[in-house]
Amino acid sequence: MSGFDDVNYYFRKAARVMDLSPHVERMLVTPFREVKVDVSITLDNGELGTFIGYRVQHDKSRGPMKGGLRYHPTVDLDEALGLASLMTWKTAVVNLPFGGAKGGIAVDPDTLSPRELERLTRCFVQQIHDIIGPQTDIPAPDVNTNAQVMAWIMDEYSKIHGFSPAVVTGKPVDLFGSKGREEATGRGAVFALEEHLRGAGLGEVRGRTFAVQGFGNVGSWVARFLHERGGKVVAVADVRGGVANPEGLDIPRLVEHAKRTRTVAGFPGCDAITNEDLLVLGVDVLVPAALGAVITDANARDVRARIVLEAANAPTTPKADEILAQRGVTVLPDIYVNAGGVTVSYFEWAQNIQQFMWEEDRITAELQRHMREAYATLARLVRERSVSFRTAAFILAIGRVGRATVLRGV
Amino acid sequence: MTAGQIRDTIRAVLCKGLTLEQAEQITRVLVPVRVSAGAPLMREGDGATGLFVLLTGTVEVLKKAPDGSSRSIARVEAPSVLGEMSLVMERPHSATVQAVTDCEIQLLTKSQFQRLISGESVAAYKLIAAIAEVLAVRLTRLDQKVLELSAHREAVAPVEELQTFKQKLFTEWTF
Repeated sequence: MSGFDDVNYYFRKAARVMDLSPHVERMLVTPFREVKVDVSITLDNGELGTFIGYRVQHDKSRGPMKGGLRYHPTVDLDEALGLASLMTWKTAVVNLPFGGAKGGIAVDPDTLSPRELERLTRCFVQQIHDIIGPQTDIPAPDVNTNAQVMAWIMDEYSKIHGFSPAVVTGKPVDLFGSKGREEATGRGAVFALEEHLRGAGLGEVRGRTFAVQGFGNVGSWVARFLHERGGKVVAVADVRGGVANPEGLDIPRLVEHAKRTRTVAGFPGCDAITNEDLLVLGVDVLVPAALGAVITDANARDVRARIVLEAANAPTTPKADEILAQRGVTVLPDIYVNAGGVTVSYFEWAQNIQQFMWEEDRITAELQRHMREAYATLARLVRERSVSFRTAAFILAIGRVGRATVLRGV
Repeated sequence: MTAGQIRDTIRAVLCKGLTLEQAEQITRVLVPVRVSAGAPLMREGDGATGLFVLLTGTVEVLKKAPDGSSRSIARVEAPSVLGEMSLVMERPHSATVQAVTDCEIQLLTKSQFQRLISGESVAAYKLIAAIAEVLAVRLTRLDQKVLELSAHREAVAPVEELQTFKQKLFTEWTF
């Protein structure tokens, strides 16, 4: 899901349940500001490299706008707008005092040297410094951007506006970053699952079986936390292949293996499994934690898990979502499940503003509180309005953003 | 149904101005089609085949909504004609037609119709005139509908709309 229309499919579904008028719907969907800038740098070989940078700010009714910056050739205004609006709804679901934004540069970072990447980042900040800021719009890492890129952004922005660590989140822990930020999305996803298991009277993670697609920053942490809680992660796959063991994989050793070989494939003592087979494995919970659009109308009928935990963004297509719903499979939606990342980003921002560092225990406890409170409201909506968790999440978000908008005055 | 009955039905529902001989001329080039209940007769988006004369049975006209689901927009009972626009226009079927009961149908294909036109068949020209009349009536009705809709839009003032939204946010959609 990247295009604006795709994101809006679920928004409109909720809007229909809420019986929003077309004018109101249009007001909520229309972004606050779209910016497109020239990012020209001198390449290492002396040539001129010109790239296009984007920042879309969707809604600021609930607070400063928040969202990632990605460096990828497909970045454009349409993609950024879709993802920016998703951030508005996501921050509202977990009740953070933020609006939504997204942006990036249309570039393949693999073709750039580290020095070029730094120049590109600093030049981009020069171009957008007047529309971002600790109280305006706070970027974060996204596809192909990391803590180092955030450090450059903080430094460049601070040169112009004075010391401003709160202008970006996802910074290195040694430079105003937050403890627990790296594992935040995975931890939040496992909290979401625990809430659901408890709420639906299904017990706990211990003894249940899981299949996890993706072993990057999200999937590997989800697997680790599930394993710590006594869950049996029976299959894991990444882009290069997958491994399965019906008795449960030894996740700490798999993490070591993946660090060394940069893939889970070839982990000793288990069978190989393809990504396609992993998605239809007979497990209790399926965790797509990598790519979008992996559960489609082609395989949704074959998914045997009773719960899909969407740790990735948009792993389920709208058609597949309907098929899973008809089959009684519970989909815990991305907009709630992977909100742990932006929640800990909020804690990082709050620490920077306070100039005070929180210990990891506090981060974990506060994250759990946000996930728990959001789940309680979602579960009530699901029960009282007979809607899916995804529709409930959008209803909750639209309600919160709508109230902030009208209280400020339209 | 006998050839005579088919001819009479064509004169009754398709074009009243046809003489017996002209109706027969058209009847001769028709292709019989039998469709059992539940089967589709034409699908939305498929290339047009021609004009269908529904002799017996009932069909349902379905149109795809933007969300991909199909909605029934009309039920048509015999005797009647369907797909007349395809004779005068190059475009795919604008709706899906599905048999509700077993149906007996005669199809006037586009190519047969073209053949009649190139042979300067008066019957074919009369048919075009009849179709033009049907389309003109529909256009008038559509104009009326557009007028009604635009009047309705003005009736719901955005101000009230916003009031309703505000009210609902703090009552129905507070969690």
